[in-house]
Amino acid sequence: MHIKFNTYLLAYALNALYRRGFKSFFTFLMLSFITFLMASILIIAHAIKYELSLTIDALPELTIQNLQAGRHQNISLEHLDTLLDIHGVQRAIPRVWGFYYFDNAGVNFSVMGIDTFDHQTKEHLETMVTAFDFEAFVATPSMVVGKGVQRILNENYYKDYFNFITTEGNFQKVSLAGVFDARTSLESNDMIFMPQEIVRNIFGMHPQEATDIVLRIANKDEIATIITKVKALYPSSRIITKEAMRVSYQSIFDYKSGIFLALFLVCLVTFLMIVYDRASGLSSEEKKEVGILKAVGWQINDILKEKFYEASIIAFSAFLCAIIAALFFVYTLQAPLLRDIFTGYSVLKPTFVLPFVVDIQMLSVIFFLSVPIYMAAVLIPSWKTATLDADEVMR
Amino acid sequence: MMLSPDVIAILVLDALFLLFGTFAFVLSLGIARHFDAHSFHERQYALEKKALLVATIIQYIFYLKLPLFLFFIFTSDTISNLITGAMCAAGVVNSVDFGLLLFAFKIINLYLFGFWLVLHTLDLKNETLPYTRAKFSLFVLFFFFLVAEIFCDFYFFNALNIDKIVSCCGTLFSATSTSSIRFIFELPHPILLSMFYGTFALHVMLFFRKDALGFLLVNLFFIPLSILALILFFGTYIYELPTHHCPFCFLQKEYHYVGYLIYITLFGGTFFGISASIMSLADQRKTYASFYRYSFYLTALFVAIVSAYPLLYFYRNGVWL
Repeated sequence: MHIKFNTYLLAYALNALYRRGFKSFFTFLMLSFITFLMASILIIAHAIKYELSLTIDALPELTIQNLQAGRHQNISLEHLDTLLDIHGVQRAIPRVWGFYYFDNAGVNFSVMGIDTFDHQTKEHLETMVTAFDFEAFVATPSMVVGKGVQRILNENYYKDYFNFITTEGNFQKVSLAGVFDARTSLESNDMIFMPQEIVRNIFGMHPQEATDIVLRIANKDEIATIITKVKALYPSSRIITKEAMRVSYQSIFDYKSGIFLALFLVCLVTFLMIVYDRASGLSSEEKKEVGILKAVGWQINDILKEKFYEASIIAFSAFLCAIIAALFFVYTLQAPLLRDIFTGYSVLKPTFVLPFVVDIQMLSVIFFLSVPIYMAAVLIPSWKTATLDADEVMR
Repeated sequence: MMLSPDVIAILVLDALFLLFGTFAFVLSLGIARHFDAHSFHERQYALEKKALLVATIIQYIFYLKLPLFLFFIFTSDTISNLITGAMCAAGVVNSVDFGLLLFAFKIINLYLFGFWLVLHTLDLKNETLPYTRAKFSLFVLFFFFLVAEIFCDFYFFNALNIDKIVSCCGTLFSATSTSSIRFIFELPHPILLSMFYGTFALHVMLFFRKDALGFLLVNLFFIPLSILALILFFGTYIYELPTHHCPFCFLQKEYHYVGYLIYITLFGGTFFGISASIMSLADQRKTYASFYRYSFYLTALFVAIVSAYPLLYFYRNGVWL
C-alpha cells in the first residue's frame, strides 16, 4: 500500500534502459508513434468540434422547413405573420438559399440571398451587409463570395463576373463585388452572397416563397412550447433546433473518431503482442543481470519494482513526446493527410485553420489508451524475469 | 451503443481488467487451496511466485481503477450533453435500469480492492505470511464483483440511447411524489445535521482514543450519512437553490468541480479509517497511526468543505436557505 519513491532504483532503471540502448529506444519509438497517431486524430476531431460549436452558437434557435412527401419544399411567405404572432418569437426571417452546381470545376457553391431590409440570420452576415451596398447590387447584379469560390472562379477565368445559368436556361450575369472572409472559414469558404431577387431568379423561385424560415427566440425556455405551436399550425413542417444540430455534430465527430479508434485498436493489440514478445525473450546478458542482482540480495519484489520503473519511464516519456509531436503536427503543420478523414473530399474543401483547444478529457483518453496498455504488455514478462532462479541463470 | 473515444477507452481498459482478472482468479484458486507457508514442496515454491504475480495484477488493476473511476464520472457528465433531458451524470446513469447499481459496484470495488492491498501489505510485513490464503480466497470473491462491474459497464454503454428522453436530476432527487427516494426528504434538517456532526465528533473522539472497532463502525456509518446530508442539506447550499438536491451536479464545471474534492475526501477518509481499524483488529500489536491520521485529516477536510458552503451563504445573505 505504501508507495515509496526510490531514486536509486530510478537511476538503476535508467541505466538499464541505456545499457539495452537499441532495444529500449525501439520500443519507445514505436509506442510514441502509435500514441502520436492516436493523439493527432483525437486532437483534430476535437478542434473541428470546437470550431463547429462556435458556428452553431451563431445560429438562430429554430429553422422551419416545409416538407412534402418527406422531401424539402419551398415555404410560403404567408406563414411569416402567423409565425410572428406566436408569443416568444422575436423575429421570423425567411431565407433564400440553395446550391449551384458549377459544371466546369465540378463543385457546388452555396448561394445565399441577402435581404438588406430584414435582419440577418447571423452576426457576421450583419457586418458584411454593412460593409457592402447590397441595395445597389439589385440594380447591377453583384455578389460577394468566399475565398474558395474566388479561387475556383479565377481558375476558370472568371475575374470580374460569373454567368449563372437559370432554371429557364438563360444567363444571369453577376459581377464580383468583393471577397468575404469570416472568422470561421469552415462555413464561408464555398459561400456566395447576393440579393434575394437574383437568387430567386437563378433558382426559378416564386417571389412569395423562401427556402426556409428561421425564428429568433429570446427566451431559451420557451423553445419547446413554440415548437409544439408551430407543429400544430403546420403539421407538414420540419423544425430543426440549434440544440439538435449541436448534438448531431457532436455525435458525428465522436462517431468518426470512435470508428477510427475502433480500427486503431487492431494496431494497438499488434503492438501489445510485439512488446510482449520482445519483453519475454531475454538475452543472456539480461538473464545474467537478474542472476547477479539476486546473488547480491535483491528480492523478486525489488526486481519487479525495477522493471516497473523501466516501463514507466518508457511509457511516460513516449506519452509526453507523442503529445508534443501531435500538437506540433496538428497546430503548426495543420495536420496534413490526417484531417482529410474529417473534412470530406469535396473540391471546395474549406481551408480553415484548426483552433487551438486542449482539454483534460482528451488527454486522459490518450493516456488511458497508451500508458496502461504498455504497462499491461510488460507486466507478465517482467514477472517472468523477476522470478528466474538465480542458480539457473548464472550457470 | 455509443462509440465515442471516451467510451472506447473505458471499454478497452475493462477488457484488460477482465483478461488479467480472470488470469489472477485462476491462479488465486490454486493458491487459496494449496498455499502452505511451512511446506518445502516444489509446488509451494511455484505458488509463492504466482502469488506475487497475482498481487502485481491486482495492484495494476486498482491503481488504474482509481483514475478511471473519475474519468467515468467525467465521461457521464459529458454524455449528458447528448442525451435529451439529462443535465448531469445523474440523468445518464439513470437512463438505464441498473445505472445506480453500476455506480454502487464501482465504488464498492474500489473499497474492496483497496482493502485487499492493505491486507496484502500487512501480509508481506509478517514473515510467516499469515494472511496469504485468506487474501487469495477473498480475491476469488472480489473477482465476481469485478466481473459484475465490467458487465454492467458494457451493458450500460450498450444501452445508452441518445434519442431516449431521460429524467433530469431535478426530478430524480426531489421531494415530489414521483421521486423514488421521496421518503428520505421526510427527515428534518436539525436531526440530520446533528447526526452528521455528532458522527463526526465521535470520529474525532475515537481517532484520539484509537478505538479500532468503534472507528470502523463510525466510518461505515459515516458514508451513507454523508451522502444523505449532501443530498438533503449541503447540496442546496452549493447550488444556492433550495429545490436542487442532486449529488452529481456539483461535479460539473459550473461549481468548479468541487464535487471531485468532496467525494475524494469522503471516500478517501472513510477508506483509510476502515483500513486502519481492520489492520488494528487483525494485528493487535500495532496501532497503524498513519492510517488513522490520513482518515482524520481527509474526513476533517470533507466536513470543513461542506460546512463552508452554508456558513458562507449565511455570512453573505444573512439568512439560511
